[in-house]
Amino acid sequence: MAYKLVVGGQLNKDEIAKQIKELSTQEITVDVKSDLDAAMAVKNGDYDYYVGACETGAGGALAMATALIGSDKTVTVASPSKMLDEDEIINEINNGKVAFGFTANTTDSVLPAIVKGLDNK
Amino acid sequence: MDHLAIINYVIIALVGGFGAILANKGIAVFNDGLRPIMPEYFEGKISRKELAASSFAVSFGLVIGFGIPVSIGTTILVAHSILLAADIIGTSTPNNKIGVALSGVIGAVYGVGLMFGLSFIVQMFSKLPVDFLPGLSLLGGPILLAFCAFPAVAVASQHNGKRGIVTFVLTFVTFILTDKFGTFNVGDYKITLNSIGMALLVAMICMIYFAAKVQETGDGNNSALVNVFGERVSRIKKNWIWLSIEGGLITAASSLLILAVDVLPQQLLVKDQVTAALIATLARAVGFIPLVFSTAIVTGVYGMAGTTIIFGIGLALQGHPFIAFVAGFIWMFAEVQLLGVTAKGLDKFPGLRDMGEHIRDSLSQTISVALLIGAAIACNKMAPTLGYFWIVGFYLINKQMKKPLVEMAVGPIAAIALGILLNVLRLIQLY
Repeated sequence: MAYKLVVGGQLNKDEIAKQIKELSTQEITVDVKSDLDAAMAVKNGDYDYYVGACETGAGGALAMATALIGSDKTVTVASPSKMLDEDEIINEINNGKVAFGFTANTTDSVLPAIVKGLDNK
Repeated sequence: MDHLAIINYVIIALVGGFGAILANKGIAVFNDGLRPIMPEYFEGKISRKELAASSFAVSFGLVIGFGIPVSIGTTILVAHSILLAADIIGTSTPNNKIGVALSGVIGAVYGVGLMFGLSFIVQMFSKLPVDFLPGLSLLGGPILLAFCAFPAVAVASQHNGKRGIVTFVLTFVTFILTDKFGTFNVGDYKITLNSIGMALLVAMICMIYFAAKVQETGDGNNSALVNVFGERVSRIKKNWIWLSIEGGLITAASSLLILAVDVLPQQLLVKDQVTAALIATLARAVGFIPLVFSTAIVTGVYGMAGTTIIFGIGLALQGHPFIAFVAGFIWMFAEVQLLGVTAKGLDKFPGLRDMGEHIRDSLSQTISVALLIGAAIACNKMAPTLGYFWIVGFYLINKQMKKPLVEMAVGPIAAIALGILLNVLRLIQLY
Protein backbone atom coordinates (compact mmCIF):
# COMPACT_ATOMS: atom_id res chain seq x y z
CA MET A 1 0.00 0.00 0.00
CA ALA A 2 1.19 3.49 -0.73
CA TYR A 3 2.27 5.46 2.31
CA LYS A 4 3.86 8.78 3.23
CA LEU A 5 7.09 8.86 5.16
CA VAL A 6 9.06 11.77 6.59
CA VAL A 7 12.74 11.79 7.49
CA GLY A 8 13.32 13.93 10.60
CA GLY A 9 16.08 13.45 13.11
CA GLN A 10 19.43 14.67 12.36
CA LEU A 11 22.15 12.82 10.46
CA ASN A 12 22.40 11.98 6.74
CA LYS A 13 18.77 12.89 6.11
CA ASP A 14 18.95 13.28 2.33
CA GLU A 15 20.92 10.07 1.98
CA ILE A 16 18.37 8.17 4.10
CA ALA A 17 15.46 9.57 2.07
CA LYS A 18 17.17 8.52 -1.15
CA GLN A 19 17.86 5.00 0.11
CA ILE A 20 14.27 4.54 1.27
CA LYS A 21 12.94 5.53 -2.15
CA GLU A 22 15.31 3.07 -3.80
CA LEU A 23 14.47 0.24 -1.39
CA SER A 24 10.70 0.55 -1.51
CA THR A 25 8.73 -1.39 -4.08
CA GLN A 26 5.65 0.77 -3.44
CA GLU A 27 4.50 4.17 -4.67
CA ILE A 28 5.62 6.12 -1.64
CA THR A 29 6.17 9.76 -0.74
CA VAL A 30 9.37 10.56 1.14
CA ASP A 31 10.10 14.07 2.45
CA VAL A 32 12.85 15.54 4.62
CA LYS A 33 12.06 17.94 7.49
CA SER A 34 13.53 19.12 10.78
CA ASP A 35 12.94 16.78 13.74
CA LEU A 36 10.28 19.05 15.24
CA ASP A 37 8.41 19.69 11.99
CA ALA A 38 8.58 16.02 11.04
CA ALA A 39 7.24 14.83 14.39
CA MET A 40 4.44 17.42 14.26
CA ALA A 41 3.57 16.32 10.72
CA VAL A 42 3.18 12.68 11.80
CA LYS A 43 1.19 13.73 14.87
CA ASN A 44 -1.15 15.75 12.64
CA GLY A 45 -1.58 12.82 10.27
CA ASP A 46 0.16 14.45 7.30
CA TYR A 47 2.59 11.54 7.20
CA ASP A 48 2.24 7.90 8.17
CA TYR A 49 5.79 7.18 9.31
CA TYR A 50 8.88 8.89 10.70
CA VAL A 51 12.49 7.77 10.52
CA GLY A 52 15.58 9.51 11.86
CA ALA A 53 19.23 8.84 12.62
CA CYS A 54 21.69 10.31 15.10
CA GLU A 55 24.68 9.21 17.18
CA THR A 56 22.51 7.49 19.79
CA GLY A 57 19.40 6.43 17.88
CA ALA A 58 17.29 8.12 20.53
CA GLY A 59 18.32 11.76 21.03
CA GLY A 60 18.44 13.89 17.91
CA ALA A 61 16.83 11.09 15.93
CA LEU A 62 13.79 10.28 18.00
CA ALA A 63 13.45 12.64 20.99
CA MET A 64 10.87 15.01 19.51
CA ALA A 65 8.94 12.17 17.89
CA THR A 66 8.77 10.35 21.23
CA ALA A 67 7.64 13.51 22.99
CA LEU A 68 4.93 14.38 20.50
CA ILE A 69 3.72 10.99 19.24
CA GLY A 70 4.35 8.95 22.41
CA SER A 71 6.81 6.22 23.25
CA ASP A 72 4.26 3.49 22.50
CA LYS A 73 4.49 4.53 18.84
CA THR A 74 8.25 4.99 18.64
CA VAL A 75 11.13 2.57 18.75
CA THR A 76 14.90 2.79 18.68
CA VAL A 77 15.85 0.05 16.25
CA ALA A 78 19.58 0.54 16.72
CA SER A 79 21.46 2.15 19.60
CA PRO A 80 25.19 2.01 20.38
CA SER A 81 24.54 -1.05 22.56
CA LYS A 82 21.78 -2.90 20.71
CA MET A 83 20.46 -3.46 17.21
CA LEU A 84 17.19 -5.18 16.42
CA ASP A 85 17.27 -7.85 13.71
CA GLU A 86 14.91 -7.97 10.74
CA ASP A 87 12.24 -10.07 12.45
CA GLU A 88 12.21 -7.85 15.51
CA ILE A 89 11.92 -4.71 13.38
CA ILE A 90 9.02 -6.15 11.35
CA ASN A 91 7.42 -7.24 14.60
CA GLU A 92 7.64 -3.68 15.98
CA ILE A 93 6.04 -2.33 12.79
CA ASN A 94 3.19 -4.82 13.03
CA ASN A 95 2.73 -3.81 16.66
CA GLY A 96 1.86 -0.31 15.53
CA LYS A 97 5.14 1.57 15.80
CA VAL A 98 5.28 4.53 13.39
CA ALA A 99 8.51 6.32 14.28
CA PHE A 100 11.92 4.69 14.01
CA GLY A 101 15.28 5.96 15.27
CA PHE A 102 18.69 4.42 14.75
CA THR A 103 22.39 5.24 14.92
CA ALA A 104 23.76 6.76 11.73
CA ASN A 105 26.34 4.02 11.22
CA THR A 106 23.71 1.27 11.17
CA THR A 107 21.66 2.93 8.40
CA ASP A 108 22.62 0.37 5.76
CA SER A 109 21.71 -2.54 8.03
CA VAL A 110 18.35 -1.37 9.39
CA LEU A 111 16.76 0.49 6.48
CA PRO A 112 16.07 -2.58 4.30
CA ALA A 113 14.19 -4.25 7.18
CA ILE A 114 12.21 -1.12 8.03
CA VAL A 115 11.19 -0.51 4.42
CA LYS A 116 10.34 -4.19 3.93
CA GLY A 117 8.12 -4.09 7.00
CA LEU A 118 6.38 -0.89 5.96
CA ASP A 119 5.91 -2.05 2.36
CA ASN A 120 4.18 -5.21 3.52
CA LYS A 121 2.02 -3.62 6.18
CA MET B 1 47.13 13.81 47.73
CA ASP B 2 47.48 17.56 47.60
CA HIS B 3 44.96 20.24 48.36
CA LEU B 4 43.87 20.76 44.74
CA ALA B 5 43.37 17.07 44.06
CA ILE B 6 41.03 16.87 47.04
CA ILE B 7 38.91 19.72 45.67
CA ASN B 8 38.77 17.90 42.32
CA TYR B 9 37.46 14.74 43.95
CA VAL B 10 34.96 16.63 46.11
CA ILE B 11 33.55 18.53 43.13
CA ILE B 12 33.32 15.49 40.87
CA ALA B 13 31.59 13.55 43.68
CA LEU B 14 29.07 16.38 44.06
CA VAL B 15 28.48 16.60 40.29
CA GLY B 16 27.85 12.84 40.07
CA GLY B 17 25.81 12.60 43.25
CA PHE B 18 23.68 15.64 42.66
CA GLY B 19 23.21 14.75 39.00
CA ALA B 20 21.92 11.32 39.98
CA ILE B 21 19.49 12.93 42.45
CA LEU B 22 18.19 15.22 39.68
CA ALA B 23 17.57 12.19 37.48
CA ASN B 24 16.02 10.31 40.40
CA LYS B 25 13.55 13.10 41.04
CA GLY B 26 12.86 13.50 37.31
CA ILE B 27 14.05 17.11 37.38
CA ALA B 28 16.71 16.80 34.71
CA VAL B 29 18.46 14.17 32.62
CA PHE B 30 21.52 14.57 30.43
CA ASN B 31 20.51 12.29 27.54
CA ASP B 32 18.24 14.18 25.13
CA GLY B 33 16.77 10.83 24.12
CA LEU B 34 15.75 9.90 27.66
CA ARG B 35 13.94 13.19 28.30
CA PRO B 36 10.79 12.35 26.27
CA ILE B 37 10.44 9.03 28.10
CA MET B 38 10.26 10.73 31.52
CA PRO B 39 6.68 12.08 31.14
CA GLU B 40 5.51 8.59 30.23
CA TYR B 41 6.69 7.54 33.66
CA PHE B 42 5.13 10.52 35.44
CA GLU B 43 1.81 9.72 33.77
CA GLY B 44 2.06 6.10 34.80
CA LYS B 45 2.28 4.72 31.25
CA ILE B 46 5.50 2.90 32.09
CA SER B 47 6.81 1.54 35.38
CA ARG B 48 9.98 2.60 37.20
CA LYS B 49 11.58 -0.63 36.02
CA GLU B 50 10.78 0.13 32.40
CA LEU B 51 12.09 3.67 32.87
CA ALA B 52 15.34 2.30 34.29
CA ALA B 53 15.60 -0.15 31.39
CA SER B 54 15.02 2.61 28.80
CA SER B 55 17.56 4.81 30.51
CA PHE B 56 20.08 1.98 30.51
CA ALA B 57 19.36 1.22 26.85
CA VAL B 58 19.88 4.76 25.58
CA SER B 59 22.83 5.68 27.78
CA PHE B 60 24.94 2.65 28.70
CA GLY B 61 26.40 2.15 25.22
CA LEU B 62 27.51 5.77 25.19
CA VAL B 63 29.08 5.58 28.64
CA ILE B 64 31.25 2.56 27.91
CA GLY B 65 31.50 3.00 24.14
CA PHE B 66 32.19 6.72 24.05
CA GLY B 67 32.44 8.64 27.35
CA ILE B 68 34.96 6.40 29.08
CA PRO B 69 37.20 5.37 26.13
CA VAL B 70 37.72 8.96 24.97
CA SER B 71 38.54 9.96 28.56
CA ILE B 72 41.20 7.25 28.92
CA GLY B 73 44.74 8.55 28.77
CA THR B 74 43.71 11.94 30.13
CA THR B 75 42.49 13.16 33.50
CA ILE B 76 39.73 15.26 31.96
CA LEU B 77 36.37 13.51 32.00
CA VAL B 78 34.02 13.84 29.06
CA ALA B 79 30.60 14.81 30.45
CA HIS B 80 29.00 11.71 28.93
CA SER B 81 31.07 9.42 31.13
CA ILE B 82 29.61 10.85 34.34
CA LEU B 83 26.32 12.60 33.51
CA LEU B 84 24.87 9.76 31.41
CA ALA B 85 25.81 7.40 34.22
CA ALA B 86 23.99 9.78 36.58
CA ASP B 87 20.89 9.32 34.36
CA ILE B 88 21.13 5.56 34.75
CA ILE B 89 21.81 5.67 38.50
CA GLY B 90 19.02 8.13 39.18
CA THR B 91 16.35 6.27 37.23
CA SER B 92 17.43 2.85 38.56
CA THR B 93 16.95 3.87 42.20
CA PRO B 94 13.46 3.92 43.77
CA ASN B 95 11.28 7.00 43.54
CA ASN B 96 11.23 7.83 47.27
CA LYS B 97 13.38 9.44 49.96
CA ILE B 98 15.60 6.40 50.30
CA GLY B 99 16.00 6.36 46.52
CA VAL B 100 17.08 10.01 46.54
CA ALA B 101 19.72 9.35 49.18
CA LEU B 102 20.81 6.14 47.50
CA SER B 103 21.17 7.77 44.06
CA GLY B 104 23.18 10.61 45.59
CA VAL B 105 25.59 8.22 47.29
CA ILE B 106 26.01 5.93 44.28
CA GLY B 107 26.43 8.91 41.96
CA ALA B 108 29.12 10.41 44.18
CA VAL B 109 30.97 7.12 44.60
CA TYR B 110 30.77 6.55 40.85
CA GLY B 111 32.21 10.03 40.13
CA VAL B 112 35.12 9.53 42.51
CA GLY B 113 35.69 5.99 41.28
CA LEU B 114 35.73 7.10 37.66
CA MET B 115 38.21 9.90 38.24
CA PHE B 116 40.38 7.71 40.42
CA GLY B 117 40.18 4.88 37.89
CA LEU B 118 41.21 7.10 35.00
CA SER B 119 44.22 8.58 36.80
CA PHE B 120 45.10 5.06 37.93
CA ILE B 121 44.96 3.85 34.32
CA VAL B 122 47.22 6.71 33.24
CA GLN B 123 49.76 5.65 35.89
CA MET B 124 49.40 1.98 35.00
CA PHE B 125 49.93 2.64 31.30
CA SER B 126 53.20 4.46 31.97
CA LYS B 127 54.52 1.38 33.78
CA LEU B 128 53.69 -1.09 31.00
CA PRO B 129 56.54 -2.79 29.08
CA VAL B 130 55.46 -0.88 25.95
CA ASP B 131 54.48 2.58 27.18
CA PHE B 132 52.01 3.77 24.57
CA LEU B 133 50.89 6.97 26.26
CA PRO B 134 53.32 9.12 24.22
CA GLY B 135 51.76 7.58 21.11
CA LEU B 136 48.24 7.97 22.42
CA SER B 137 48.84 11.63 23.21
CA LEU B 138 49.17 12.29 19.46
CA LEU B 139 45.55 11.30 19.03
CA GLY B 140 44.15 14.76 19.60
CA GLY B 141 46.70 16.51 17.36
CA PRO B 142 44.66 16.87 14.16
CA ILE B 143 41.53 18.01 15.98
CA LEU B 144 43.30 21.14 17.18
CA LEU B 145 42.73 23.11 14.02
CA ALA B 146 40.71 20.65 11.95
CA PHE B 147 37.51 21.18 13.94
CA CYS B 148 37.46 24.81 12.76
CA ALA B 149 36.21 23.33 9.48
CA PHE B 150 32.88 22.33 11.02
CA PRO B 151 30.99 25.60 10.47
CA ALA B 152 31.93 25.48 6.77
CA VAL B 153 30.67 21.88 6.59
CA ALA B 154 27.44 22.88 8.36
CA VAL B 155 26.92 25.81 5.98
CA ALA B 156 27.52 23.57 2.96
CA SER B 157 24.94 21.03 4.16
CA GLN B 158 22.34 23.58 5.31
CA HIS B 159 22.62 25.95 2.34
CA ASN B 160 24.86 24.97 -0.56
CA GLY B 161 28.40 24.08 -1.51
CA LYS B 162 29.25 27.60 -2.68
CA ARG B 163 28.44 29.18 0.69
CA GLY B 164 30.35 26.35 2.33
CA ILE B 165 33.44 27.20 0.30
CA VAL B 166 33.07 30.92 1.13
CA THR B 167 32.97 30.08 4.85
CA PHE B 168 35.88 27.68 4.48
CA VAL B 169 38.06 30.23 2.67
CA LEU B 170 37.24 32.98 5.20
CA THR B 171 38.14 30.62 8.07
CA PHE B 172 41.40 29.75 6.33
CA VAL B 173 42.32 33.38 5.64
CA THR B 174 41.51 34.41 9.22
CA PHE B 175 43.81 31.74 10.57
CA ILE B 176 46.67 32.69 8.26
CA LEU B 177 46.35 36.40 9.03
CA THR B 178 45.95 36.13 12.81
CA ASP B 179 48.76 33.59 12.96
CA LYS B 180 51.08 35.93 11.05
CA PHE B 181 49.97 39.34 12.32
CA GLY B 182 48.03 38.43 15.45
CA THR B 183 50.66 39.62 17.91
CA PHE B 184 50.95 43.35 18.48
CA ASN B 185 51.83 45.80 21.20
CA VAL B 186 49.38 48.16 22.81
CA GLY B 187 51.43 50.45 25.01
CA ASP B 188 53.50 48.15 27.20
CA TYR B 189 51.20 45.17 26.73
CA LYS B 190 51.82 42.49 24.19
CA ILE B 191 48.55 41.13 22.87
CA THR B 192 48.38 37.80 21.10
CA LEU B 193 45.20 36.80 19.30
CA ASN B 194 44.46 33.10 19.53
CA SER B 195 44.48 32.23 15.83
CA ILE B 196 42.43 29.04 16.26
CA GLY B 197 39.87 30.91 18.32
CA MET B 198 39.68 33.76 15.82
CA ALA B 199 39.32 31.40 12.86
CA LEU B 200 36.48 29.59 14.60
CA LEU B 201 34.84 32.85 15.59
CA VAL B 202 34.81 34.10 11.98
CA ALA B 203 33.49 30.73 10.79
CA MET B 204 30.70 30.82 13.40
CA ILE B 205 29.74 34.36 12.40
CA CYS B 206 29.45 33.24 8.75
CA MET B 207 27.33 30.28 9.78
CA ILE B 208 24.95 32.30 11.95
CA TYR B 209 24.75 35.05 9.32
CA PHE B 210 23.66 32.60 6.61
CA ALA B 211 21.22 30.86 8.93
CA ALA B 212 19.64 34.08 10.21
CA LYS B 213 18.90 35.08 6.62
CA VAL B 214 16.56 32.10 6.17
CA GLN B 215 13.05 33.51 6.04
CA GLU B 216 10.44 30.77 5.70
CA THR B 217 8.77 29.58 8.88
CA GLY B 218 8.44 25.94 9.93
CA ASP B 219 5.12 24.22 10.64
CA GLY B 220 5.97 23.38 14.24
CA ASN B 221 7.51 26.10 16.31
CA ASN B 222 8.46 26.79 19.89
CA SER B 223 5.65 29.31 20.57
CA ALA B 224 3.11 26.62 19.86
CA LEU B 225 5.00 24.18 22.07
CA VAL B 226 5.32 26.66 24.95
CA ASN B 227 1.59 27.35 24.80
CA VAL B 228 0.56 23.70 24.61
CA PHE B 229 3.07 22.55 27.23
CA GLY B 230 2.89 25.60 29.54
CA GLU B 231 2.45 23.45 32.62
CA ARG B 232 5.62 21.53 31.85
CA VAL B 233 7.60 24.73 31.42
CA SER B 234 6.37 25.85 34.87
CA ARG B 235 7.50 22.53 36.31
CA ILE B 236 11.05 23.23 35.14
CA LYS B 237 10.92 26.75 36.56
CA LYS B 238 9.67 25.42 39.88
CA ASN B 239 12.76 23.21 40.14
CA TRP B 240 15.16 26.11 39.64
CA ILE B 241 17.00 25.63 42.92
CA TRP B 242 18.01 22.05 42.09
CA LEU B 243 19.00 22.93 38.56
CA SER B 244 20.98 25.98 39.72
CA ILE B 245 22.96 23.95 42.27
CA GLU B 246 23.89 21.30 39.70
CA GLY B 247 24.65 24.11 37.24
CA GLY B 248 27.01 25.69 39.75
CA LEU B 249 28.72 22.36 40.46
CA ILE B 250 29.25 21.58 36.77
CA THR B 251 30.61 25.10 36.19
CA ALA B 252 33.02 24.61 39.11
CA ALA B 253 34.17 21.26 37.69
CA SER B 254 34.67 22.87 34.29
CA SER B 255 36.73 25.68 35.85
CA LEU B 256 39.00 23.04 37.43
CA LEU B 257 39.50 21.52 33.96
CA ILE B 258 38.34 18.11 35.14
CA LEU B 259 35.09 17.94 33.15
CA ALA B 260 34.53 18.84 29.49
CA VAL B 261 31.20 18.85 27.67
CA ASP B 262 32.42 16.77 24.73
CA VAL B 263 35.48 15.14 23.22
CA LEU B 264 36.30 18.26 21.20
CA PRO B 265 36.86 20.72 24.07
CA GLN B 266 38.41 17.87 26.06
CA GLN B 267 41.08 17.24 23.43
CA LEU B 268 41.72 20.99 23.21
CA LEU B 269 42.15 21.12 26.99
CA VAL B 270 44.59 18.23 26.85
CA LYS B 271 46.64 20.49 24.55
CA ASP B 272 46.29 23.43 26.98
CA GLN B 273 44.16 25.36 24.49
CA VAL B 274 41.72 26.76 27.03
CA THR B 275 40.56 29.70 24.90
CA ALA B 276 39.92 27.47 21.89
CA ALA B 277 38.12 24.97 24.15
CA LEU B 278 35.95 27.80 25.46
CA ILE B 279 34.94 28.92 21.97
CA ALA B 280 34.41 25.30 20.89
CA THR B 281 32.17 24.71 23.91
CA LEU B 282 30.03 27.72 23.06
CA ALA B 283 29.91 26.73 19.38
CA ARG B 284 28.74 23.26 20.33
CA ALA B 285 26.13 24.73 22.68
CA VAL B 286 24.64 26.74 19.79
CA GLY B 287 24.06 23.44 18.01
CA PHE B 288 22.39 21.75 20.95
CA ILE B 289 20.24 24.62 22.26
CA PRO B 290 17.28 23.99 19.91
CA LEU B 291 17.17 20.28 20.83
CA VAL B 292 17.57 20.89 24.58
CA PHE B 293 14.92 23.62 24.55
CA SER B 294 12.29 21.78 22.56
CA THR B 295 12.70 18.48 24.43
CA ALA B 296 12.66 20.35 27.75
CA ILE B 297 9.51 22.29 26.90
CA VAL B 298 7.51 19.27 25.82
CA THR B 299 8.64 17.07 28.72
CA GLY B 300 9.03 19.36 31.75
CA VAL B 301 12.43 17.74 32.32
CA TYR B 302 15.46 19.97 31.83
CA GLY B 303 18.99 19.16 30.70
CA MET B 304 21.34 18.36 33.56
CA ALA B 305 23.72 20.99 32.21
CA GLY B 306 20.97 23.00 30.49
CA THR B 307 22.15 24.56 27.25
CA THR B 308 25.70 23.46 28.26
CA ILE B 309 26.82 27.11 28.10
CA ILE B 310 27.84 26.73 31.77
CA PHE B 311 30.80 24.59 30.65
CA GLY B 312 32.02 27.65 28.75
CA ILE B 313 31.51 29.89 31.77
CA GLY B 314 33.60 27.46 33.80
CA LEU B 315 36.44 27.64 31.27
CA ALA B 316 36.27 31.44 31.27
CA LEU B 317 36.70 31.31 35.07
CA GLN B 318 39.45 28.70 34.94
CA GLY B 319 41.07 28.08 38.31
CA HIS B 320 38.36 29.82 40.32
CA PRO B 321 35.93 27.05 41.30
CA PHE B 322 34.08 29.09 43.93
CA ILE B 323 33.43 32.08 41.68
CA ALA B 324 32.53 29.59 38.93
CA PHE B 325 29.99 27.92 41.20
CA VAL B 326 28.26 31.23 41.88
CA ALA B 327 28.35 32.26 38.22
CA GLY B 328 27.01 28.89 37.10
CA PHE B 329 24.28 29.01 39.72
CA ILE B 330 23.13 32.45 38.56
CA TRP B 331 23.37 31.56 34.88
CA MET B 332 21.33 28.40 35.31
CA PHE B 333 18.69 30.33 37.26
CA ALA B 334 18.39 32.85 34.43
CA GLU B 335 18.39 30.12 31.77
CA VAL B 336 15.51 28.32 33.46
CA GLN B 337 13.45 31.45 34.14
CA LEU B 338 13.87 32.71 30.59
CA LEU B 339 13.28 29.31 28.96
CA GLY B 340 9.89 30.16 27.46
CA VAL B 341 10.92 33.63 26.33
CA THR B 342 14.17 32.48 24.70
CA ALA B 343 12.51 29.54 22.98
CA LYS B 344 9.83 31.82 21.52
CA GLY B 345 12.53 34.27 20.47
CA LEU B 346 14.22 31.50 18.48
CA ASP B 347 11.07 31.23 16.34
CA LYS B 348 11.94 34.53 14.70
CA PHE B 349 14.94 32.81 13.15
CA PRO B 350 13.75 29.50 11.72
CA GLY B 351 17.16 29.05 10.07
CA LEU B 352 18.82 28.94 13.48
CA ARG B 353 16.79 25.95 14.64
CA ASP B 354 17.58 24.16 11.44
CA MET B 355 21.21 25.17 11.89
CA GLY B 356 21.31 23.23 15.16
CA GLU B 357 20.84 19.94 13.33
CA HIS B 358 23.52 20.79 10.80
CA ILE B 359 25.95 21.86 13.54
CA ARG B 360 25.47 18.60 15.45
CA ASP B 361 25.87 16.65 12.24
CA SER B 362 28.96 18.49 10.99
CA LEU B 363 30.58 18.53 14.44
CA SER B 364 30.37 14.79 14.80
CA GLN B 365 31.64 14.27 11.24
CA THR B 366 34.56 16.65 11.72
CA ILE B 367 35.51 15.18 15.08
CA SER B 368 35.22 11.61 13.78
CA VAL B 369 37.51 12.26 10.82
CA ALA B 370 40.02 14.26 12.89
CA LEU B 371 40.14 11.61 15.62
CA LEU B 372 40.51 8.87 13.03
CA ILE B 373 43.49 10.61 11.46
CA GLY B 374 44.85 11.29 14.95
CA ALA B 375 44.43 7.63 15.81
CA ALA B 376 46.32 6.66 12.66
CA ILE B 377 49.20 8.95 13.65
CA ALA B 378 49.10 7.63 17.23
CA CYS B 379 49.06 3.98 16.11
CA ASN B 380 51.88 4.59 13.71
CA LYS B 381 53.96 6.10 16.51
CA MET B 382 53.33 2.98 18.61
CA ALA B 383 54.09 0.53 15.79
CA PRO B 384 55.49 2.12 12.61
CA THR B 385 53.59 1.16 9.43
CA LEU B 386 51.75 -1.64 11.24
CA GLY B 387 49.73 1.13 12.88
CA TYR B 388 48.20 2.24 9.58
CA PHE B 389 47.23 -1.32 8.69
CA TRP B 390 45.57 -1.64 12.09
CA ILE B 391 43.58 1.56 11.94
CA VAL B 392 42.36 1.21 8.35
CA GLY B 393 41.24 -2.35 8.97
CA PHE B 394 39.72 -1.58 12.35
CA TYR B 395 37.72 1.36 10.99
CA LEU B 396 36.36 -0.39 7.92
CA ILE B 397 35.58 -3.70 9.62
CA ASN B 398 33.79 -1.87 12.45
CA LYS B 399 31.43 -0.39 9.86
CA GLN B 400 30.40 -3.89 8.83
CA MET B 401 29.81 -5.14 12.36
CA LYS B 402 26.35 -5.84 13.64
CA LYS B 403 26.94 -3.50 16.55
CA PRO B 404 29.37 -0.89 15.23
CA LEU B 405 31.18 1.32 17.72
CA VAL B 406 30.15 4.97 18.00
CA GLU B 407 31.76 6.72 15.02
CA MET B 408 33.58 9.31 17.14
CA ALA B 409 35.03 6.64 19.43
CA VAL B 410 36.34 4.25 16.76
CA GLY B 411 39.74 5.97 16.48
CA PRO B 412 40.45 6.25 20.22
CA ILE B 413 39.28 2.69 20.91
CA ALA B 414 41.39 1.31 18.05
CA ALA B 415 44.46 3.14 19.37
CA ILE B 416 43.99 1.90 22.94
CA ALA B 417 43.36 -1.63 21.68
CA LEU B 418 46.58 -1.58 19.66
CA GLY B 419 48.53 -0.32 22.66
CA ILE B 420 47.24 -3.16 24.80
CA LEU B 421 47.83 -5.69 22.04
CA LEU B 422 51.44 -4.55 21.65
CA ASN B 423 52.00 -5.14 25.35
CA VAL B 424 50.56 -8.64 25.09
CA LEU B 425 52.85 -9.32 22.11
CA ARG B 426 55.81 -7.99 24.10
CA LEU B 427 54.94 -10.37 26.93
CA ILE B 428 55.08 -13.37 24.61
CA GLN B 429 58.14 -11.85 22.91
CA LEU B 430 56.58 -11.37 19.52
CA TYR B 431 57.11 -7.61 19.45
